Amino acid sequence: MNYLYDGSFDGLLTCIYWNYYGEKISGIYNVNQYQQSIIENYKIIKTDEKLAEKVYSAIELKISKQALDYVYYCFLSNNLNKENYILDFVKIGFKLGKNTLDYYSHDKIMPIHEIYKKVSFERHRFLGLLRFSDIKGILYAKYSPDHNISVLVADHFADRLKNEKFIIHDIKRNLAVVYSDSSWYLTDFKLKQSIEYSEKEKLFQRLWQGYFNQLSIKERKNINLQFQFVPARYRKNLVEFNYTVDSLQNI
Amino acid sequence: MKEILEKLKILADAAKYDVSCASNGVGRKNKGKIGNSSASGICHTWTSDGRCVSLLKILMTNDCVYDCKYCINRITNNVQRASFTPEEIAALTIEFYRRNYIEGLFLSSAVEKNPDYTMERICKALELIRNKYGFSGYIHVKAIPGADNLLIKRAGFLADRMSVNIELPTRESLKILAPQKKVEKLLLPMKQIDNCIVENKEVRSKFKSSPKFVPGGQATQMIIGATPDSDYTILQASQSLYNRYNMKRVYFSAYVPVASSPNLPSINTMPPLKREHRLYQADWLLRFYKFKADELLTIEQPNFDLDFDPKISWAFRNIDKFPIEINKASYEELLRIPGVGIKSAYRIINQRKVANISYDSLKKMGTVLKRAKYFTTFNGKYYGGIQIDPDKIKGILRQKEIQKQLSIFELA
Repeated sequence: MNYLYDGSFDGLLTCIYWNYYGEKISGIYNVNQYQQSIIENYKIIKTDEKLAEKVYSAIELKISKQALDYVYYCFLSNNLNKENYILDFVKIGFKLGKNTLDYYSHDKIMPIHEIYKKVSFERHRFLGLLRFSDIKGILYAKYSPDHNISVLVADHFADRLKNEKFIIHDIKRNLAVVYSDSSWYLTDFKLKQSIEYSEKEKLFQRLWQGYFNQLSIKERKNINLQFQFVPARYRKNLVEFNYTVDSLQNI
Repeated sequence: MKEILEKLKILADAAKYDVSCASNGVGRKNKGKIGNSSASGICHTWTSDGRCVSLLKILMTNDCVYDCKYCINRITNNVQRASFTPEEIAALTIEFYRRNYIEGLFLSSAVEKNPDYTMERICKALELIRNKYGFSGYIHVKAIPGADNLLIKRAGFLADRMSVNIELPTRESLKILAPQKKVEKLLLPMKQIDNCIVENKEVRSKFKSSPKFVPGGQATQMIIGATPDSDYTILQASQSLYNRYNMKRVYFSAYVPVASSPNLPSINTMPPLKREHRLYQADWLLRFYKFKADELLTIEQPNFDLDFDPKISWAFRNIDKFPIEINKASYEELLRIPGVGIKSAYRIINQRKVANISYDSLKKMGTVLKRAKYFTTFNGKYYGGIQIDPDKIKGILRQKEIQKQLSIFELA
């Protein structure tokens, strides 16, 4: 039986609950992306917070707090088969107990390690690569990460910029973390119109571009290395990769 | 406003040869109005030479009274001069930081007028940033040799890390290239900083709330390839700096020709990047792999093999210690296997507690098997396929390298 869920973390956990107390699962899929199979029947699972909570604390208690983190990071990844990797991991985890993550090369456990690594790597990258601009006193950053990492970067910036108001906008998923007065929330988000930068904002962007431009040591040039660190797909939202020689001169 | 950009360009250009970019080592929540510090360090962007940009790295001024031959800011060099005011530095740091361009500030300076005058201005800038703007992020500051101890102390209570550049590994080299700088004068502030750190630790053990003095420790930097000093000399010098002054980091900087002088390599010399890379690898082995400098190099063999990394070179010289059994070796022994890093050694130890490790599973753990397989056994079985003989292994690794290069050419 294929289980279809609504795309939420609680929904996924509810499916896992029913695997134990209902019909066994052959696969879990997002209801919005499911293509019907000719062999398997499917069932749409209604998200139930109470049941989800049971699975949530079972993972934490029977496996570990760290395993729960890994599962959550995996859930936020863009991996197409993540639901089934998570199900397999949780199933084996309930058998192996608190050392589950140490079976590093086990074929049901390794995918979780690898996906976790990718998501946490991208999260760490964007702690550095996110760029804010000051729009009438509110700091606004747009980006389009591979994985759904907005909730993972929020705490870092909420502490760092605690006296500011900021918006971290995932333009790929139309989601944003909105922060003000020491708390943040995640919300659906779309800009109504394009943003006009003030003169002061433009000045600091140009100063940064000018500074960045000056830093390379030409004798050490290594463009390939730079591409490894800053992939092309990230560059369109980075101030320092979007300037013209003219814009630097017209201050 | 154009004036600020011009100054920024001049003073960033003059500071860019300083290699330290680290912002790690201090984990701190936001205790002021803005800023925190991540223990693992955060890179914000990368320049076209592939170096990470983490800190706003600038000089207070490039107007220098010294005439060091290797330095672009020497008094006899004809370059544009500029100086920032402390307020300009502070405002720029905060505005860049708010936009998440940077992780903090790296403030250095040429010696304008005299060491005390310069250090005083550095202190003023730091005081503005910390007290007026309430900045709680990362600051790395250069101690100016020859400045009053009180000024160095004042800066140390405001900064996370402090450094004094030793510049060159030997007294002789320094005498030739930086005649106005005396070794004692460079070592004195290092000693002062170290003393203050020790003293501060003691005070803080009694009074927890007293302020921290350079919590990120001190660092220094050496120029590689401007003088004929061997890798052995450099590594010995760096090891003694680690031991004597509790250095957190010794940086190496491949010399980029900025001047012609009979005492310097010709202006057309390329910076010795490969050599710099080998030195960093060796430095890594000293700091994290528990190697000693004289295990890696000797007076008879004073330079690194540019074809092979220092760890595998060590393994070739100590081939009698191999192969090592993956399922029995201690953590320290695992770290000595070429191709096994800190993370994979850690994973091996962890997985061994619960399950045996086979040749195939090791590959999944991030080990570089193309090197490790010649130096290991798995439950007694050897997978190298050839005799454990340095020349034979070298031959095969070289061949692989050539094949790799050929395939790159074919692609192009």
